[in-house]
Amino acid sequence: MPVISINKKYLVSLFPESATQEEIMSHIEKFGCSIEAETADTINVEVSPNRPDLFGAVGLARSLKNFMHKSRKYSYSIKDGNTYLSIEVGRRVLKIRPFISAFVAMGTSFSDDSLADLINFTEKLCETYGRSRKKMAVGLHDLDKISGELTYDAYPDDKFVRLGGEGEEFFSEVIKNTEKGSKYSDIIENAEGLFPALKDSKGTISLIPILNSERTRTTTKTRNIFVDITGIDGETIDNAADLISTVLMDAGAEVRPVEISRGSKKKVTPQLRHRELFIQSRMAENEIGVRVGPQNIVSLGNKMGYEAAVVGNRIRFTVPPYRMDVFNEQDIIEDIAIGYGYDYIQPVPIPSSTAGQLDPRMVFFREASEAMLGLGFTESMSTFLSGEESNFADFRIGDYKETFGSDFDYVKLKNAKSQSITMMRTWIMPSLMKAIGASRHEAMPQRLFELDMVFWTERGKPVERNHLAAIYVDSKSNFNSIKAAAEAFLEWADLEMEVERADHSGFIEGRCAAIVWKGKKMGILGEMHPETLRNFGVEEPASAFEIDIDGVFEASRRPV
Amino acid sequence: MHRYETALLGTLKEGVWTEASDATARSGLGRESFLWAIENLYASGYIEVRKVDHETVELTQEGKEYAASEMPEESLLRRARNGRLGISEMRNPREQIGLQWARKKNLISIDRGAIELTKEGRSALEKGTEEGNALRLIAKSPDNYFELAKSDSQAIVNLVKRGLVAIRKKSEVAAITITEKGSRAFAEGAGSENKIDALSKEIIANESWKEKGFRPYDVSLKIEPEPVAMMHPVRKTINELERIYLSLGFTQVSGPIIEPAFWVFDSLFVPQDHPAREMQDTFYLSNPEKISISEEESVQRIKKAHLGSWGGSWAPEYAEQALLRTHTTNISVRQMNTTIRRLFAEGEKPELPVKLFSVGRVFRNENIDYRHLTDFYQHEGIVIGRDLTFANLFSILISIYDQLGMEIRFKPAYFPFVEPGVEFYAYSDKTKEWIEMGGAGMIRREITGMPRKNISVLAWGPGLERIMLLKDPSVKSIAELYNSDIGWLRRRKRV
Repeated sequence: MPVISINKKYLVSLFPESATQEEIMSHIEKFGCSIEAETADTINVEVSPNRPDLFGAVGLARSLKNFMHKSRKYSYSIKDGNTYLSIEVGRRVLKIRPFISAFVAMGTSFSDDSLADLINFTEKLCETYGRSRKKMAVGLHDLDKISGELTYDAYPDDKFVRLGGEGEEFFSEVIKNTEKGSKYSDIIENAEGLFPALKDSKGTISLIPILNSERTRTTTKTRNIFVDITGIDGETIDNAADLISTVLMDAGAEVRPVEISRGSKKKVTPQLRHRELFIQSRMAENEIGVRVGPQNIVSLGNKMGYEAAVVGNRIRFTVPPYRMDVFNEQDIIEDIAIGYGYDYIQPVPIPSSTAGQLDPRMVFFREASEAMLGLGFTESMSTFLSGEESNFADFRIGDYKETFGSDFDYVKLKNAKSQSITMMRTWIMPSLMKAIGASRHEAMPQRLFELDMVFWTERGKPVERNHLAAIYVDSKSNFNSIKAAAEAFLEWADLEMEVERADHSGFIEGRCAAIVWKGKKMGILGEMHPETLRNFGVEEPASAFEIDIDGVFEASRRPV
Repeated sequence: MHRYETALLGTLKEGVWTEASDATARSGLGRESFLWAIENLYASGYIEVRKVDHETVELTQEGKEYAASEMPEESLLRRARNGRLGISEMRNPREQIGLQWARKKNLISIDRGAIELTKEGRSALEKGTEEGNALRLIAKSPDNYFELAKSDSQAIVNLVKRGLVAIRKKSEVAAITITEKGSRAFAEGAGSENKIDALSKEIIANESWKEKGFRPYDVSLKIEPEPVAMMHPVRKTINELERIYLSLGFTQVSGPIIEPAFWVFDSLFVPQDHPAREMQDTFYLSNPEKISISEEESVQRIKKAHLGSWGGSWAPEYAEQALLRTHTTNISVRQMNTTIRRLFAEGEKPELPVKLFSVGRVFRNENIDYRHLTDFYQHEGIVIGRDLTFANLFSILISIYDQLGMEIRFKPAYFPFVEPGVEFYAYSDKTKEWIEMGGAGMIRREITGMPRKNISVLAWGPGLERIMLLKDPSVKSIAELYNSDIGWLRRRKRV
């Protein structure tokens, strides 16, 4: 969840004088955001990631003012629709980062606080909605430092003075030598030696999407701003242009459009689109489960920032241009529920009653666990993740394909952060041995069992299976003691299994057996090999069994 | 009088001091039994005791454990011998001690978080560390301590400093004599050896106990208790949730852990470029690397919903990437699709509402340490029905958590696949704050595929571990739940 840092003094200054700081804070929570931390000057607010319009103080104040009935502002329009600037888009940039929107905002007057808030807002927007500038990035410039019309294209390596730079540097040097350069360079690495840039008649004003020029830096003295938005998805950058322009309008600026031309194709941004959605009030009431009537739904819509009106038997909601998260009626119905207040929604039981049922397999597993507890084994639960060393090598298994057949392979993790986990366990024994090895200072005897999942692939197809494994550690533990436990368990399961001599490198030769049912190998039991014991740091003799409990369940199901 | 006590008293004469070693030998008692008898007899006023002071060397409990196995740093050397041990895996206190001493003694070096053995380390791996060797010598015979002390061994100084060897001034019994009271008691108690020690089949049959009687036990003696074989606390919580869902009329379902991204992300409306899908949070697999979705009938509908709402492109390759599920909602969505398909297909139709639940494991790609886990549990429920409301959802969640003994509160929240969405919180008496328990909502109609029908789906999928953290006072952190430490499992109390 995005967390934004807001200057309290600035936030309060955006409200009419009748709103106190306490009142504002208490409504932030009701609105669905939460205050994560608070200092004397700032609050950190956790905001829903689908509401980028709340990523700054201006946008947050705008929605809160409607929510608290402190103002009513639902629509945005441009007073002077004449385009102020034009941008010519070149052909070479089309393959790299084809889309650009832009606008200018006149008559701004920034304080340190308000400028910081605008910059933080656009940065957060680029990180989340813009997917770390890849999908969309924003540049802010001092309009009065720009001369002539602009061109956006991909250029060969060129020099300019970057933001914070002291002399001219090549694009390639800026990418190599600055923090932003190394952070975002992969976005344009497939540009075949070209660099997307925005230029005016004097040269480069922005190396996109990395750094602007020092020449067009925005400061508190800036009176007129030029905003560019570039990206790889046209819808996304147009949405962002609408959003950012409404923020600047709410901060007191007058927005003027910019013309973007690509050959003979022209478009003007921002578009400030106000969409209309129609909802029957009954539909909203039925979905939420409250009865309020159409007039109240209109005012709840207003509270959530929509212009709303009853039209015939429906209600028309006008979606303001900054709400790119609203796809259809469902999103507005949620807002109506938030406006109504989750605290006031009375829970209503579902009228019809149903009979529930447990999964018979799970019931069997629970009974099997009870049988193991009855045999004196304590239940263990471990991670399903493992490593080759403990799953195979510590049991002296060299070539696992030789042991398990060529169709077998284990489930491998591609990107684990911990070096010790590389795979999913193929059996439970490694988990039990680890637990025993870590508990050698506990009193003997130790009896432990685990009934849970193991994984592998068979000819590339994943297999998920449940096993039951048990281990008995004590100076007196031997083959017979675990055989007694295994047979007691199988007798409980009412299955006639046979125990046949088998070889497994993890166990002592001649003290290891397979559990066989109708000719099918269902499990293994035996006395742990001293080398296996050492590998896990176990100091006393141990004997153990592991059985395919899904197989036992399937075998023990009798026709009803 | 216990037979040890009679045995000892029998070796003593009133007015004569008998040397402790003589009394031990003549009574035929072991050292422990001898000392135990002395203590009891002295407390009863039957004997007088003379003591002398000695300096003795003893291994502490920790020292004994190390002597019986190995020093923590030796264990570290052994585990790190082939260079695949990360420093972040040193989790428990003992591993930390090993790490600290191995560094201090220059046995290891640490390179970008990986532990490597130095030349000294390799030699110690072979021959044992100085401290380890000294400790084992002392364990063989405490006199070796004094031998080592003569040669100015730094190792023994360290052993004392580390609290593995304790030097104690101990007063020992030198000589004893019997009091008058003791003599009288002995005369009365003589013959009690003939009393029955262990009851046997023969004695029950021949009734000889009637004349002999039973030797009484000292009921206050400390006996090492046998551990109770216990169900794992997480399993108990799972069982409790199963019971609750059953009582509310839900049927249990399950589903795969290894999934294509489609069922974990795409079918839950998570855009393909969403940060939640990135490598740092999710375990992706290299075997199997892909799982085909070509036979899933919902692919076209989901693709359309993505293109319609998120723009850009939707690539089946991303949807086929194999991964470990990060939540159990994959089960709910699979079940929802099947149920809705059957509703509109020929044949027997499911009766609405359909109420399903599952409890299952989910995975998060974390660095494993004492605070972080990779495995978690989630409980998950859906209701598919006609005319369901958000208020119905609140009611079900309240019923579930009410049975767990928790009061819950609701707050607006965003999850891509539900609208409206809600997060719910329970109050923790431990930390005196509202703790987030999980998320819920009504599944978007783009995902149910029911845009115009009055069939809707309520869904929720909160974590299980937080329930335990709030309910069980002995659970201090979520990470300790899956360490399978036998001591921790054994010493748990009933909750």
